[in-house]
Amino acid sequence: MELDYLASVLVSSLSSASILLIATIGLAVVFGLMGVINLAHGEFLMIGAYSALTVTQLGLPYVLSIPVAVLVTMAIGAIVEVLIISRLYGRIFDTMLATWGLSMVLYQLAVLIFGTVSPGIGMPQYNIQIGDYNLAGYPLLMIVVAIAMLVFVYLLMTKTIYGMKARASIQEPEMAQAIGIDSTRTNTLTFAVGCGLAGFAGAVLLPIVPATPSMGFAFVIKSFLTVVVAGPVTLTGSALAAIGLGGGSSITASFMTSVAGDVFFFLVTAIILWLYPLGISAKWRHKL
Amino acid sequence: MTKSQKCYRLAGLIFPAIAVLCALVAAGMMEPYLAFVATSWIIFGLLGLSLDVVWGRGGLLSLGQTAFYGLGGYFGSVVAINMADLFGNSLLVAIPAGAIFGAMAAAVLGYIIFYSRMGLLQSTILSYTFTLLLWSLTQTFKLEVGNAVIGGDNGLSNIPGVVLSIAPNSESLEPNAVFAAVVLVSAAVYYFTYWLMKSNFGKVIDCIRLDVEKTELLGYDVRKYQLLNFAYSGAVAGIAGALFGLWSNYLNPSIFSVQEALLVPIYVLVGGLGTLAGPFVGACLIGGLSFWLGSGSAGGQTTLMLGVVLILLVLFLKNGIIGALNDIWLRFLPDVNEAAKNSSAVRINVAVLEKILQQAEAQAGPAKELKTDKLLKRFGGVIPVNNVSRIFVPGQPYSLIGPNGAGKSSFLKTCVGIYQPDKGEVFIGSDNVAQMSIFHKVQKGMGVKNQKPQVFSELSVIQNLWIAAFSRTRSEQDAQVVSDEIISMLGLNKHSDVQASALSHGQQQWLDIGMVLCLAPRVVLLDEPAAGMTNEETRELSTLVRTLARYTTVVVVEHDMEFIRTLEGHVTVLHQGEVFAEGDIETLRLNERVLDIYLGRSKHV
Repeated sequence: MELDYLASVLVSSLSSASILLIATIGLAVVFGLMGVINLAHGEFLMIGAYSALTVTQLGLPYVLSIPVAVLVTMAIGAIVEVLIISRLYGRIFDTMLATWGLSMVLYQLAVLIFGTVSPGIGMPQYNIQIGDYNLAGYPLLMIVVAIAMLVFVYLLMTKTIYGMKARASIQEPEMAQAIGIDSTRTNTLTFAVGCGLAGFAGAVLLPIVPATPSMGFAFVIKSFLTVVVAGPVTLTGSALAAIGLGGGSSITASFMTSVAGDVFFFLVTAIILWLYPLGISAKWRHKL
Repeated sequence: MTKSQKCYRLAGLIFPAIAVLCALVAAGMMEPYLAFVATSWIIFGLLGLSLDVVWGRGGLLSLGQTAFYGLGGYFGSVVAINMADLFGNSLLVAIPAGAIFGAMAAAVLGYIIFYSRMGLLQSTILSYTFTLLLWSLTQTFKLEVGNAVIGGDNGLSNIPGVVLSIAPNSESLEPNAVFAAVVLVSAAVYYFTYWLMKSNFGKVIDCIRLDVEKTELLGYDVRKYQLLNFAYSGAVAGIAGALFGLWSNYLNPSIFSVQEALLVPIYVLVGGLGTLAGPFVGACLIGGLSFWLGSGSAGGQTTLMLGVVLILLVLFLKNGIIGALNDIWLRFLPDVNEAAKNSSAVRINVAVLEKILQQAEAQAGPAKELKTDKLLKRFGGVIPVNNVSRIFVPGQPYSLIGPNGAGKSSFLKTCVGIYQPDKGEVFIGSDNVAQMSIFHKVQKGMGVKNQKPQVFSELSVIQNLWIAAFSRTRSEQDAQVVSDEIISMLGLNKHSDVQASALSHGQQQWLDIGMVLCLAPRVVLLDEPAAGMTNEETRELSTLVRTLARYTTVVVVEHDMEFIRTLEGHVTVLHQGEVFAEGDIETLRLNERVLDIYLGRSKHV
């Protein structure tokens, strides 16, 4: 009995950590490859969620709505990169402030267009039994989705020509240009990919997190802290940080209150930053 | 100096004074409701000022200012509630309480940030996390302190208003008088901050923002300065919080919310970063705008407008309103950097230099030797400094040479403490300094010039030298004397008021060397000082180094063999982090093994 309870808490915490990771990966890619902290990341999640919602409301199946969400967020991401981000490279705090301004704009636009309340879509109904405990299946599926996203991004960055160009243009922009890489375009694409990942996250999480204008806000703070705690090795670091922080706070929340979970999250972040001022992966030799 | 120039220099005193007078006059004529609302703008401006002190001056974007503001507000209010029955004047009670509590909270956070030498981004995030932590904690935090009841998200109510009379339980002021009182308190804080930032403390803070490493290499304990500055900003935020509590008579956890935290940088940016007066302009403008919009049709769109304004500001008006006005004004003033355009080559006057060095010896004591004992530094699998034991004594210059990657610069950096040694000892004279912080070693007599010229770009040439000299003399007059001597030795008199950033690369190298000389170092470490210098300048540099070596211990890392030959000193060849060969340059030139490592041959190795 007790063991069943512990197992169910563990599994659902892992699923919470995965949800955090899904929401974070896009941010991690943009930060890791471009050195840009995108505070509007949460709003891209929201755009993804609303795109998926709109598509399903038109009567199309939910699965089809996910690629639509990705395309829409990638397109908006590319526009934002060209108009704002590309003018601010190397000015990390300015980028933070500008993207924060953008997040306010996008939030307010969502309020104007969709109103503050919108209908959720039903969660696909299947449950998993652990002893006496019933767990909803869809959140558990997120563990698989998170792993798939990690593998996808890893392959994209290491096995494709675009990935190598992207890593080259951010490490040595001038050298990359000297050997014929159009680093401006590569950066636009990288930012768009990051936003696309956010859009994917928003769509795939839609059954769990209903679309509201303020949903991005709830996500971005924790995602953002996860990325900073992770440090320079963004992919592996973020996965580890998401499991530690997200999983830990979820476990704390299930034994105590949700406020205690938040306190755990912020407190552990503060302690880790104290112990590892440059993030947990600052001294790792592996670089992705 | 023209009237316009004088006026420009005193702008930070004159215009705020005019603004305060206008506000006091307006206080007598405003509608009470407008006065009530406008009071909050001034309070937000004060909060913005606290951020400007750490961000605009100290260079750290802190998102923890609302935390100090909230803590100061809560603490000040709790004290004010409990004191109301004993002592009427709530300002005199709440403001010091808020200031002390805000400063203490900031000092704790600042200690963690600065003493663990955290990166800039991580510091920003940690301050943000601190705010978030308080936000989630205060939701459920319940405590009764005497008459004050802190009730989680129900907040803290029954905070007394602004009371001036000292009789217990007196009537609080009318909105217009509250406005005037808040304006006066803010003005006092502003002028104190203005004075503080003009003082020697403020000068060092400016240097830390411009180049924290160089500031430490001048012997300033940067962490202490940063911590004090941060604590001061916490005090200012705490005062703002206390005023806010008295103004609204009610506080709840939303004071710690993310929206509040991120509004503060906007006030600062709109007004002008680093201007001190800017945050007040920004807060009044944004407050006024949303007040005006609030009654119109576009009322709900404040968020949208704020977002757009923020993006546009960051993209196009980086220096805010005051910064833009400043730029326009500067165009009508004579260009201080005009002198940089007609410059002549530096000439070292050996007689003058010797006089300076003799004085330095008289003040700072005899030259000290530099000794390393089995010094080791590793980066992962690479060992750039491998058990190096050396002793450098005054009398002749020492040169370190070796092919790229031999560990020359790493050896120097490990001696300085820019790289923390993994093993081994470093001695300056008889002191073991291996584990000391950089500034401490500098105070022990070490002078360092890194490869790239490190000068404080926004400061003038003379200010650069002065701040270096002041670090040692701790007396304004003495520092003035020393920097005047060095500047004339370098022949940069005409460039005295030129900003360091306007100097040529070679001149910046000389200025950097001059700053090192101002420290009267007993051991001098120079990393590629001849890089980027003309042949003529290199000759002068050689004269300087040889003269310097007669009075102090000098170690030079160089690639320029011709330069090393002219130094006529002792040469050490490093290879793969170890001492490979040594002797004078002529002998080494004939050494086949040395030629092998330089040419990449493997015959004799």
